[in-house]
Amino acid sequence: MIECIDVAKRFGTTAVLAGLTARIEAGEIFAIIGPSGSGKSTLLRLIDLLDTPTEGAIRVGGADAHREPEQSLAVRRKMGMVFQKPAVFNTTVYENVAIGLRFRGEGMAAIREKVEDVLRMVGLAGYEERRARTLSGGEMQRVALARAMVIEPEVLLLDEPTANLDPVSVALIEDLIFRLNRDRGTTIVFSTHDMYQGQRLAHRVGVLMKGVFAQVGTPREVFTLPASREVARFVGVENVVDGVVAAGENGTSVIDAGGIRIRAHSPFGAGEAVSLCIRSEEIRIAATSGDTPGRNSLPGTVTSVVPRGPFSKVTVDCGVALSSILSWKAADGLGIGEGSRVVVSFAPESVHVVRRG
Amino acid sequence: MQRRTIFAVAAVMVAFLLICGCTGTTTDPTPVEKQQLRIATTTSLDDTKLLNHLSSIFEEQHNAEVLIISAGTGKALEYGQRGDVDVLMVHDRAREDTFLADGYGINRRVFAYNFFILVGPESDPAGIKGMTPEEAFSTIREKGMADENIVFVSRGDASGTHSKEQAIWKGAGFDYAKDIQGSGDWYIEAGTGMGATLTMANEKEAYTLSDIGTYLAYKGDLDLVTLVDEGDILLNVYCAMQINPEKYPDVNSELAKDWVNFMISDDTQKEIASFGVDKYGQPLFYAAQNDWAKIGVTEAEVSVPIA
Amino acid sequence: MYEIIEGIAEAARLIITLDPGVMSIAARSIIVSFTATVAATLISIPLGAAINFGTFRGRTSLINLIQTLYSLPTVIVGLLIFLLISRVGPFGFMRLLFTPTAMIIAQTVLVLPIMTGLTISALSGVDTVIRDTLHSLGATRLQFLANVMKEARFAILTAVAVGFGRAISEVGAAILVGGNIMASSFSGSTRTLTTAISLETSMGNIPQSIALGTILLAIALGVNLVITRMQHR
Repeated sequence: MIECIDVAKRFGTTAVLAGLTARIEAGEIFAIIGPSGSGKSTLLRLIDLLDTPTEGAIRVGGADAHREPEQSLAVRRKMGMVFQKPAVFNTTVYENVAIGLRFRGEGMAAIREKVEDVLRMVGLAGYEERRARTLSGGEMQRVALARAMVIEPEVLLLDEPTANLDPVSVALIEDLIFRLNRDRGTTIVFSTHDMYQGQRLAHRVGVLMKGVFAQVGTPREVFTLPASREVARFVGVENVVDGVVAAGENGTSVIDAGGIRIRAHSPFGAGEAVSLCIRSEEIRIAATSGDTPGRNSLPGTVTSVVPRGPFSKVTVDCGVALSSILSWKAADGLGIGEGSRVVVSFAPESVHVVRRG
Repeated sequence: MQRRTIFAVAAVMVAFLLICGCTGTTTDPTPVEKQQLRIATTTSLDDTKLLNHLSSIFEEQHNAEVLIISAGTGKALEYGQRGDVDVLMVHDRAREDTFLADGYGINRRVFAYNFFILVGPESDPAGIKGMTPEEAFSTIREKGMADENIVFVSRGDASGTHSKEQAIWKGAGFDYAKDIQGSGDWYIEAGTGMGATLTMANEKEAYTLSDIGTYLAYKGDLDLVTLVDEGDILLNVYCAMQINPEKYPDVNSELAKDWVNFMISDDTQKEIASFGVDKYGQPLFYAAQNDWAKIGVTEAEVSVPIA
Repeated sequence: MYEIIEGIAEAARLIITLDPGVMSIAARSIIVSFTATVAATLISIPLGAAINFGTFRGRTSLINLIQTLYSLPTVIVGLLIFLLISRVGPFGFMRLLFTPTAMIIAQTVLVLPIMTGLTISALSGVDTVIRDTLHSLGATRLQFLANVMKEARFAILTAVAVGFGRAISEVGAAILVGGNIMASSFSGSTRTLTTAISLETSMGNIPQSIALGTILLAIALGVNLVITRMQHR
């Protein structure tokens, strides 16, 4: 549905996007996540034809509107966009939502029906004559969403649509996005800095870093099998350890991480510089070495115990700093505090190895 | 709510406009396009309302509209030179001669005269009452330089009156640019018309040179009195002339000719001679018709109509 | 003091009895300035839109120039128009000098910079996200311009009101190109509230001045009231 081919965008001397290539399939929900300033908004604007790429091509439904300007109006009218800042015109809610239909020359009766329909869908039935600027942030954003939905676009683009909104509005809008995709098959592309939102809603996630997609995959792939240390850090893998493959064969490697030897499954051979990604949930802490064969067991000293909701995050220095998440009960049961000597263990399967650099 | 306020204000303004328009634009009689005559004139003719009086008579007789631009001789001559008006009515013989010689004006006719007077505060701090004009001026200057209460207000606007004032200074032996202008706080240049200058002189209890017509017209509002009114140099002769249609073919020369002839016609001369008598006790102007010798012009200038 | 009180009393009488002399001057002021404002609006709004949304070399310099012209002295405009329409000037053949039309032209030129400048401000003050939304909804160029102006409508109306206020309060241009003529017909005269006040005061006709001044003040205040109301939207 949407193809980005080697897209680059420079503002002056700053390159925001560089050599970005991706495909977004029709009918899917695609989330773009990435750190602030990574170019998420820029990419969405380029797709929506609000800006032109410095290099590369973007095709929507097969048509490259940047190259063929006569197509641009037709292509733009296939897409709807909702911006991060609620953008409502200084008029009534009805007028706001109706405007796209007016642009397309629809008749008054048709407009009335469609507008009332879509207002019902976003939960703003009866708001027609209210002045849009007097609504709350969440309500305004729903008006913006209604305005984009009412023109029945094939593609809906949303730039951080729930940023700065109250949780109720966030839930409402997420629900709408989900239903829109399910009931009408609308292709949805949204950017968010809340990776859990991306995980909740999207079929596929693209991690935008340094102007390119560092990884594109299902939420599970991205979160549990990050493609690089940067992606790992971004998706919240707490433990990223750098090392060099000491020996590797048959898919199993031994990695030397600053003197500590760790066993993991990886395709890399000796001498490769790698990063090891281990989720905190996969690391167990015991008072003594449980000596389960095959597991990595590293003795160390607890350097901090930090509460996190009903859990505690325990950081242990065992030559490298590793964190584990335990429930308070478990932590208390082990009787550990700062300075306790413990043994950290984790299975080789829990270690996700990526090439470094 | 706010929309209503805006409507209200707008409605009030429109209503106001209609009221003003209806009461102000009283009788605009003509479906027929009236001809317009543009006259540039001195303030002393206008401020006395003589021209208003005469122009309404003319307008009726000729079904025309007279537009009077009151400016002061200097400005009037300038307008004439640029062809922006059809008729000039001024009172500076020397500059009129130049204007005619340069071909900008034609058919000068003299229609009225009066005298200049030197007016000032009743207390007359400089003690000039009864002196000759030249003596009086010298005295004002001498005493004004010493006493800050003695002030002379000049028209300062290149008008006919201003020219006359300069002539008197010259007659008294002074170089205007060197000895008078900017020579001290005693000499003020107003840069305004006759009426406005009199008002200013009144305010400052100062001396000024005025034509008798304007002075009489304003006397009711002024505390200034006549101090010097005798002297040949005080003669003030008014003329009317057409702007030369050869230089400016667009001027309304027919109507201009009519106007000038109107000014020297017997009826108008009588009007001029009697203007202001009932109100002020004496005429503000004298008809030139019979006194041409006295005022030093040819008989043709006062009585021969333009062909 | 007595003169002032006497003047106010007489002025009230002139206004209440709708004295034709005073009323015709007031009407003329309103008509001249209103026409000038309308003319300037017709020019400045499209011009402002063109400059605001245009991309051309020297755009910023042009905007700076327009803002500098806000404080263009009225007499300078008067002088300029005078030189242009005087019989010896390039447009002398139109015989416009000393007519109300000349005053309308002068006032139009006078308020054009400020109205254009304020229109540009108004349009650029429309949030980028609004503009993006319009583009995103597939607006044609015309639909885009119309809707941005709709968004900026209050600021633009303020510009119009400011223009009218400036036009009706000025005296320098009106005197130079109008000549402050009091003729027998309404359309032949060129005396406005400002030029009349100037004349009557210098001649010492205080009641007339006060009457005219009161009307002018009322109009100016009325315009300002409209402006402040608009700005609160």
